[in-house]
Amino acid sequence: MKKSRKEGKPRRIHPLRLPTDRSYWRETLAAYWYLLPAFLILGAFVFYPFFSAFKLSLFKWSSLNPPGSFIGFENYRYIFHDKYFWRAMWHTFYYVGITVPVTLTLSILVATLLNKGLRCLSFARTSFFLSYISPVVAMAMVWRWMYNTDYGLINYFLSFFHIDAIAWLNDPRYSLPAVILLSIWHYVGYQAIILLAGMQSIEQQYYDAAKVDGASGFQTWWKVTVPLLSPQIFFVFIISLIGSFKVFTEINVLLSGPGPLRSAETLVYYIIRSSGRIDNATNHIGRAAAASVVLFGIIFLFTIIQLTVTQKRVHYD
Amino acid sequence: MLRKLMLVGLAAVMLFGMAAIAQEPVTIEFWHAMSSGHQPNLQKLVDDFKVAYPYITVNLIYQGSYGALQGKIDAAVVAKNLPAIAQVYENWVTPIASILYPIGNFMTDAEKADIIDGLVPSNTYNGVLTTVPFNKSIMVMYYNKSLVTTPPTTWAEFLELAKTLTVDTDGDGKINQYGTAFRPAANPEQFLIFLEQAGGSILNADWTEVTLNNDAGKAAAEFVGSLIPYSYITSEYMSDHIKDAAMFVDTSAGIAYNVKAATNAGFELGVATLPKGPANFNSMIQGTNLAVFNTENLTQAQKDAAVLLAKFLIRPENTVFWAEKSGYQPVTKSAYTTPEWLNWVATHDYQTQMSTQMLNSFSQILHPNYGDMRNVLSTGFDEIMRGVVPPLEGLEQMAEEIEALL
Repeated sequence: MKKSRKEGKPRRIHPLRLPTDRSYWRETLAAYWYLLPAFLILGAFVFYPFFSAFKLSLFKWSSLNPPGSFIGFENYRYIFHDKYFWRAMWHTFYYVGITVPVTLTLSILVATLLNKGLRCLSFARTSFFLSYISPVVAMAMVWRWMYNTDYGLINYFLSFFHIDAIAWLNDPRYSLPAVILLSIWHYVGYQAIILLAGMQSIEQQYYDAAKVDGASGFQTWWKVTVPLLSPQIFFVFIISLIGSFKVFTEINVLLSGPGPLRSAETLVYYIIRSSGRIDNATNHIGRAAAASVVLFGIIFLFTIIQLTVTQKRVHYD
Repeated sequence: MLRKLMLVGLAAVMLFGMAAIAQEPVTIEFWHAMSSGHQPNLQKLVDDFKVAYPYITVNLIYQGSYGALQGKIDAAVVAKNLPAIAQVYENWVTPIASILYPIGNFMTDAEKADIIDGLVPSNTYNGVLTTVPFNKSIMVMYYNKSLVTTPPTTWAEFLELAKTLTVDTDGDGKINQYGTAFRPAANPEQFLIFLEQAGGSILNADWTEVTLNNDAGKAAAEFVGSLIPYSYITSEYMSDHIKDAAMFVDTSAGIAYNVKAATNAGFELGVATLPKGPANFNSMIQGTNLAVFNTENLTQAQKDAAVLLAKFLIRPENTVFWAEKSGYQPVTKSAYTTPEWLNWVATHDYQTQMSTQMLNSFSQILHPNYGDMRNVLSTGFDEIMRGVVPPLEGLEQMAEEIEALL
């Protein structure tokens, strides 16, 4: 008996022979029709800008005759020979390498504490989330005061431990750590709320089973909570990694520039400076586009590595 | 007789006709970056302009920060949709000088000669006065009156006083009051001032050679090097570090913030002209100019109206009004002798020094890569002042990097 498609397996289609029945084409057309808005939005706001940036990176920009003259990979050659590009690269990796793991670890701990059934859970949740919803500019202005060498709260606390006042924003050794501290504080709340939501959706039966098996509190957390939380951990890890590679506002507001001796100039700062948008710099759109393409490549590469490595460790059930 | 009457009639018709053409309503856009505090005063000037030229309507369009304004102008150049007139920094328009409408061509020689000398080169493109100065500030010396009784008038006095005023006031073994202060990364113009005062410049007159590291440059670098032990170095505004230095060079536009910070810290702030170097005591003028665009999206009437507006804004009474209200400095020489300005100076003692300094000044060069050169100076000057490289070595490095930009 011939099976209908609704009942049986999906129909196999010969690679070189197109199906002839109308229902197939109607469904296919309908599918593309539904996908069209997403294609249009992604095309206009993601793919076109990306390919446009790549195209610009091959030109020496001219405002009067955009995009200017074609120079091949000259912009890439320039940035790869520019010591400030490599410094910016190092600062970016330094920032990402500390901010992402520390923020994630702290947010798992905070989420675990919040999940312990605090009486004032909603208040605690709101408090942690408040740091994230505060505008970055306003927040950085407050932190500027906290970092003030003479009157800042941070140096005041350090003085209890007989630690000399640190010129957080004026010493090249501390400017980037100051930004890192601010970023960790800013993102811990957001990540903790997502992880808390994940923890609260873990079914009780897993904990009951662990209890029956005699697992300790830490064992339960390590063997049950963390593995079942892996989709959320994976999500915040990816989001935080991508966001951290693009850090700019925190630096620009906190340090009113790239920091002493350009000690906190990251790749995005380098891109914006090259485009002439800050510091009254000369407009080098081609160089800025080339650096953007490099940054895209780095983020893309890391995302692929993460996807490959973590896919095996993420449990969706 | 009839012929005469006909001629007179024809002349009258032509006169009325021309008047009618001249008074055809015209609307122009003026893009600016003057924040909310300045906007009512700018609007007042535009309203006065409307009284003088009733047929011209000016739409003031605030574009946000200077960076945002620069971005909008860049985009408008590409889109071929520029406003009739806009505030511009010199190096924004150097690459697009060919689409500027030369305002100077519609000014009398007397009007052109009235612009402060230090501002003329930075508004002159290909030998023609093309833009006109608008909101301009000057770098002056601020000093703590409780520590400095007589501000220094020469480099030698400056160094000596800086040395004397650098002290450990609380005896903890650390200096907590410096003679002077620098913001090298944020304000490399501080180095350019010493360079100018030593008789030097970044490039030679025709921009074919780097002259930064010649004898004048070396004298400037050695002088700033001698100040390092007595200097507080920061990237932040001086108003945030008002107690850290007894005297410092900063923009006149910052006076309100600096005076407020000093008052809060319990002392009075004085203003002086800069100490004289081997060549002069010139200071650097900063701020934007007015540019009229000469593009196809604008009608001749709009360009003419924009020129009239630019000329109106620098009339003595208007540049004085703007200076009094905004804290910027008048941009024409005659403005400094108007009764309004003299009255203002009489009640604002710091202004005497600022006016003197304004008339002894220079501006940035119009090289298309000036922005990049400024970046080199910013980083190099920061490295020198923070002791990363010795002054003369730092000077050579900067010269080498600027050479690559020619």
